[in-house]
Amino acid sequence: MLLEYATTLTFIALGAIFAYSFYAVLIAGQLSLGQAGFASLAAFSAASLAPSGDDVGDVPALLIAVVLGMAVGALASVVLGLPTMHLRGVFLAIATLGFAEAVRIVLLNQEWTGGAQGLAVPRILTVGMAWTALAVVAYWFWRMGRSRYGRALEAIREDELAARSMGIDVGRHRLAAFVTSGAVAGLYGVLYAYYVRLIAPGDFDFVAAVEGLVTAVLGGSTMFLGPLLGSGFQTMIPEIQRAVGVEAGWIRPFLASLLLLVVILFLPGGLASLIPRRTRMPQSDGGDGDRGAHLAARRHPAAGETVATLAGLGKEYGGVHAVRDIDLEIRAGEVVGLIGPNGAGKTTLVNMISGLVPPSSGSATVLGASIGRTPVHKLAGAGVSRTFQHSKLFNRLSALENVLVGGHLVSRPTFLRRLLWLPSSRRDERAALEHAARCLNRVGLGDLAGNRASSLSYGDQRRLEIARALASEPSLLILDEPAAGMNHVEAAKLSALITSLAADGLTILFIEHNVGMVLETCTRVVVLNFGEVIASGTPEEIAADPAVIEAYLGTEDHEPVTGSIAEGTLDDPTGGAAQNAPAGAVTNVGPSAAGTLEPPDTTSRDAT
Amino acid sequence: MQQLLNGIFIGSIYALFAIGFTLVFGILDRLNLAHPAVFAASAFVGIELVERGGLSLWAALPIVFVFGAVLGLLIERLAFRPLKGRADAHFAGLISSIALAGMVIALLQWRYGPDTRRFPAGSFPDTRYEVAGAQVTLVQVVILGVSLALMVGLTYMVTRTRLGRGMRAVAENPDAARVLGVNVDRITAVTFAISSALGAVAGVLFAINVNTAQLGMGSAIELKGLAVIIVGGMGSLPGALIGGLALGLAEVFAVQYIGSSWRDVIAFGLLFLILLLRPQGLLGARKVREV
Repeated sequence: MLLEYATTLTFIALGAIFAYSFYAVLIAGQLSLGQAGFASLAAFSAASLAPSGDDVGDVPALLIAVVLGMAVGALASVVLGLPTMHLRGVFLAIATLGFAEAVRIVLLNQEWTGGAQGLAVPRILTVGMAWTALAVVAYWFWRMGRSRYGRALEAIREDELAARSMGIDVGRHRLAAFVTSGAVAGLYGVLYAYYVRLIAPGDFDFVAAVEGLVTAVLGGSTMFLGPLLGSGFQTMIPEIQRAVGVEAGWIRPFLASLLLLVVILFLPGGLASLIPRRTRMPQSDGGDGDRGAHLAARRHPAAGETVATLAGLGKEYGGVHAVRDIDLEIRAGEVVGLIGPNGAGKTTLVNMISGLVPPSSGSATVLGASIGRTPVHKLAGAGVSRTFQHSKLFNRLSALENVLVGGHLVSRPTFLRRLLWLPSSRRDERAALEHAARCLNRVGLGDLAGNRASSLSYGDQRRLEIARALASEPSLLILDEPAAGMNHVEAAKLSALITSLAADGLTILFIEHNVGMVLETCTRVVVLNFGEVIASGTPEEIAADPAVIEAYLGTEDHEPVTGSIAEGTLDDPTGGAAQNAPAGAVTNVGPSAAGTLEPPDTTSRDAT
Repeated sequence: MQQLLNGIFIGSIYALFAIGFTLVFGILDRLNLAHPAVFAASAFVGIELVERGGLSLWAALPIVFVFGAVLGLLIERLAFRPLKGRADAHFAGLISSIALAGMVIALLQWRYGPDTRRFPAGSFPDTRYEVAGAQVTLVQVVILGVSLALMVGLTYMVTRTRLGRGMRAVAENPDAARVLGVNVDRITAVTFAISSALGAVAGVLFAINVNTAQLGMGSAIELKGLAVIIVGGMGSLPGALIGGLALGLAEVFAVQYIGSSWRDVIAFGLLFLILLLRPQGLLGARKVREV
């Protein structure tokens, strides 16, 4: 009974393994078509180098071939990966495709591969062996899914820049995913060779690569069962058609393509999306005693120590000075507010401080790291964490998973231990989960932990970004317009949160247009205009500073700015009538309703 | 000299095919992998028009152009529009266009069978010219002329007309274009139509050039098209022209001096080198990612 279907079942397993080699990179958002090349290299080198089954026995021969093939595949992917890892999207796909085609043509012109005739290989693989190999591969990706490593890959897929800012070494992770893909492709190549008896370079051509990609995407590239489902679908459709008696040569490919189209159009996320994805929340009851016991604790600089020193920092974009000649020192425990009209260079300045933008002049040291020479993830490792002016969340991950990624730096790697089911990895994962849940609760998003980040309201997305930044236990927290899109009640809560974070020993630098909130929250305010610091001091000094008033209101003749700020905000947030409004209930209220000093950019233009 | 001219003729077809490819990518940021199927389908349709309809080669070209445009509208409607707004639209678009291509090829197999087809004998004028000691047929001259005319026309349209301005606006930022009153859906559909029409003409010209049409001819040129648009610069129309001609010439000379079995290594070697040294391509602009 089973024997009758042995060929089909074997091909399902082989197809699934090949699809996993695509899945391995798709999960990190990379589109590679080089796997056929890896498989080809692996198949031919293993088939020619591995000892014959007559000498060492069939199974050992296959095992040796598998090890050889996976090593060749991994090696080839390193060789291809190192120069191409900076390519993105379609560019990577085409570069790797070019590699695969070059491999095919080179092998076709070699003596030892038998050229177009192909190379005879003994059939050793049985259906059982194929499924065992598939099980091992699937197990690998299953255990990877909820490890720190797996989450980091997903974060890179969703938003590379944000992943970097969370301390993830994107280059290394992408290369690791690529090498995994190469090894799995190598495995496929060898197994395929030891099943079909005769391999030719043409077996691993563009069509084969596309087939593998189709299988992986069809099955679903965000869930570890996807490739298996995809392969089952792709292999079974022709079989079923044959069984039903569909004969004409063109109908079969037509129906198969039609089904593929229907699945891809109507099942976003592939076949695997039919399987519900469990959302997990930590049990809040368990083990309050050993809270965070397994998380790395960061030592914040003691109050008064220097956190950041900026000396003559400047940034020029094609002759336009976005920021020029900034000297600034931020000390531990300070809450520094950065205000200024639109286009004053505030975001450029924090982009430089957080390492995203290299300065064009001057220098700066942040938490011991030198700006401009330190990669973003290293700077994050030093204790800098930030939010973005335009939310850069990991959209397809849940709120909780977003924060878990934020905890990348303070949690421990769990993937290899998860493969072995070590209890310590379970403890570490739980610690990371509890830590993430605490961060979520702190910003008031505990109830929305299971929701996709993209489904949250604007204000909640801002809060989620803060929670994610908090999860890395930063020493210096940079917030870029955190209150944008929040109403005055929410802004007041945010202000209280910032104050309490400062009490925990964090140093905070934040950009905000809600001047009232800045004056209320900060210990020091820095005012930027046209890329230069025009004032710096305590909120009281700033509110009375004529230069600031001029920058905001154009002339000194107007009513003093202090009055309007006090009126607009100091009253509002503290009058807690609506304090108990549900979080995110009023999110469509424009920033002007939150007491923002609204039209600064028009006034600044008038001033020129 | 003969090789040089041959390279230019075949290169102009590559360029025409690649321009259709790169147009959709440059404006809509989508790779349409059904493009090669259009290429193959139009070759078969072109042969049928000449064989059954009794049209001359040149009368068939405009009909095929329209046929390609209609096919392009279908591709957009069936494979790309339903994906709008999906997070995985990029990957899904690749797959859905592959699926649609599979359906088109299956239909071709149904209509024309799996065999190679040729134009009926005597459909080619046998006028020949001698240019600097090399033989050139009228057919080849027309191929070059039609390709160049279409590419010039396209460039004019994109840079000078209202429609072209809309296309460039969509390429920059679809949302902003929509807000400013550009009918993004219509621009998208028209872009697909034009792209496919060019691919269709390239298909017929290719069939005329080698006097064969096969079901697999699309996948053979697909890789070359991808190489051309990378070498020329993704989304760059002049880049695709230069890349196409360069590939045609490189192939012809590779066959002559290195041997035919190594021909494609040249293309991919070139492709690889460009990607490493200048990922934006010869004439592409590097997109700056914003924070």
